Amino acid sequence: MSKPLTLESAAWAVAALVLLLLLPMIFSATTVDWANEVIYWAILCLGVNLVLGYMGYVSLGHAMFIGTGAYFLALFVDFAEVPLGWSIPLVVVGTALLGLVVGAIVMRVNRIQFLVITLAIAELIHGVFHQIRATGGDDGHSANDTWRVDLTWFGGWDTSESTGFYYWNLLCLLAVMLVLWRFLRSPFGSVLVGIRENEQRMTSLGYNIAIYKIIAFAVSGAAAGVAGILYAQNLQSVNPEPLTWQVSGEALLMVIIGGRKYFIGPVLGAAFYIVVKHLLESITSEYIIFLGLAFMAIVAFFGRGIAGYFVDLYVWAKRRAGVGRPGAPAAEAGE
Amino acid sequence: MEALLTNLLHALQLSMLYFLLAVGLTLIFGLMDTLNLAHGGFYTIGAYVGWRITTWGGALLAMFFAEPGLNDFEFNRVALQYSTEFFWAALIIAPVFVGGAGYLFQRYVLHPLSERGRETHLDFALLTFGLLFVIMGSMELVFGTTPLSIGMPALLTGSIDLFGLNYPVYRLFIILMGIAIAILLYFVLDRTVWGAIVRAGVDNRDMVLGMGINITKVFAIVFAVGTGMAALAGVIYAPGASITATMGARILVVTFVIVVVGGLGNLTGSFYASLIVGFVDSLAQAYKPTVEIFGTEIQIDLELYGIYILLAVVLMIKPTGIFGSKGAT
Repeated sequence: MSKPLTLESAAWAVAALVLLLLLPMIFSATTVDWANEVIYWAILCLGVNLVLGYMGYVSLGHAMFIGTGAYFLALFVDFAEVPLGWSIPLVVVGTALLGLVVGAIVMRVNRIQFLVITLAIAELIHGVFHQIRATGGDDGHSANDTWRVDLTWFGGWDTSESTGFYYWNLLCLLAVMLVLWRFLRSPFGSVLVGIRENEQRMTSLGYNIAIYKIIAFAVSGAAAGVAGILYAQNLQSVNPEPLTWQVSGEALLMVIIGGRKYFIGPVLGAAFYIVVKHLLESITSEYIIFLGLAFMAIVAFFGRGIAGYFVDLYVWAKRRAGVGRPGAPAAEAGE
Repeated sequence: MEALLTNLLHALQLSMLYFLLAVGLTLIFGLMDTLNLAHGGFYTIGAYVGWRITTWGGALLAMFFAEPGLNDFEFNRVALQYSTEFFWAALIIAPVFVGGAGYLFQRYVLHPLSERGRETHLDFALLTFGLLFVIMGSMELVFGTTPLSIGMPALLTGSIDLFGLNYPVYRLFIILMGIAIAILLYFVLDRTVWGAIVRAGVDNRDMVLGMGINITKVFAIVFAVGTGMAALAGVIYAPGASITATMGARILVVTFVIVVVGGLGNLTGSFYASLIVGFVDSLAQAYKPTVEIFGTEIQIDLELYGIYILLAVVLMIKPTGIFGSKGAT
């Protein structure tokens, strides 16, 4: 497993947090909108990477979790009329249950089949929500009232406008990261890495790997479900769009570009992807060509992604300063 | 009765279209262990290249044979009339072009990477997945977002009498094409030395290498044949539908369902699975019965997910697919 939390990495984390807290004050309102977009993608990617980076299975079906997460919120709040405060945990439980069911179906297959089958099941669920008339079918459904949490009792925290909503998003991101970090650093996380490296050995050691895979898939789905909640709250509506395979695909691109071997990789990847996408959009609407090529280059030549570059840079800087031990291995999550 | 027969023939036609894609994907996976996620992209390129050939051909002919003094609008109309017959040229040129691209991609991108030790299947699946996005974006950049179409050549328009049924010639053509390709492939793979090399490569790659056969070349040729067949499917499909950059996406998912149901890397399996999936998909679109549950009438509309239910059921019963995957015992 990774190195213990040192004073230094804690200092880096605090610095990053301060920067994120100050973001709306430093940058323009557009940047805050981008940041809101980045955060739900980042949470989705963290979920994807739990399965991809730690367990070693490529899922092309995580759109089903962000999509159903968004739809569950709509169904609970607007149709079942559950209070918003109860709906949110219910959505997380709902997507986790979906993950358990789907995980039980797919846990027996090999890695290539896994990719195909998660894609097929996501398409199946896309088809279902496409047809349900109650939620507007293809057109989607807009929030009756608001789906954003009312936090005005907390020092007038107004989530209805962009900056206030940004802090709510940030809170959710940190919560998800904290939970996943704890989850992956537990013995359970070590077993997942063991499954990635050698499934037969893990079975021989007496682990019931099917159970581990199913639970990991459910946790990953629940994380993506949180992304769905934020997606719905951001748009104040739901539609079948986040259920399409392109969403799973783009999440995969983000995770690989960011660096699947690092815990922070998916977050960096999502931020890079969304920022580049918006910057390129002013030049060409076919930004996907550039991002697709970047993705291919990273898969082919530099599997560690942006996070890997950061680590290299950090090691290089330390060596130059004469602090680091020469040849000290870069710390990689889950290794 | 007539409606049933028509639906069955439609299902057969859809199956044959799927087969052209599935067999290429299966060949490539069977030999190289590469799940080519860009397969739908090659299909899309095939359709666009076909469109380009017909429009250029039509314009060229119009330049020589149209009456002089036509205005732009009339000239374009004449060019469009001429263009339909270039479908036949497209049917040959597009697969060759795309197959060539596939050859180069395998020979100079995928193979050198596998030589450098990036030999996990998943890395290649990811790489081709990136290529799929690049292809979709490039097609939109080059050909625009407006859907395009290829005109039906004269020979394929109209319908003929078939078992006392008026059936479109075009659809019959697809069925015959599919069957012809299946027979041709069977013949080549089962009766020729080339086929023997490919079959040996599927079973034991190292042994083939040990026999002094240039496996790199075999890989690249098989990749070319596979992607070429995807392009052929793209051209064949084009007169009946519209060409868009995302046309490869849905059909790619269906193709995946076929290769998993038939067993990954299993060629005969992919043929039967194409039939099964094609029929399920086609009949789910044709029949939408209504049933009464608790006094309310509910229409069972499986159009969008009939094949996925099939896939889930197959996997729960037999995870290696109905006909068994390569390497599975």
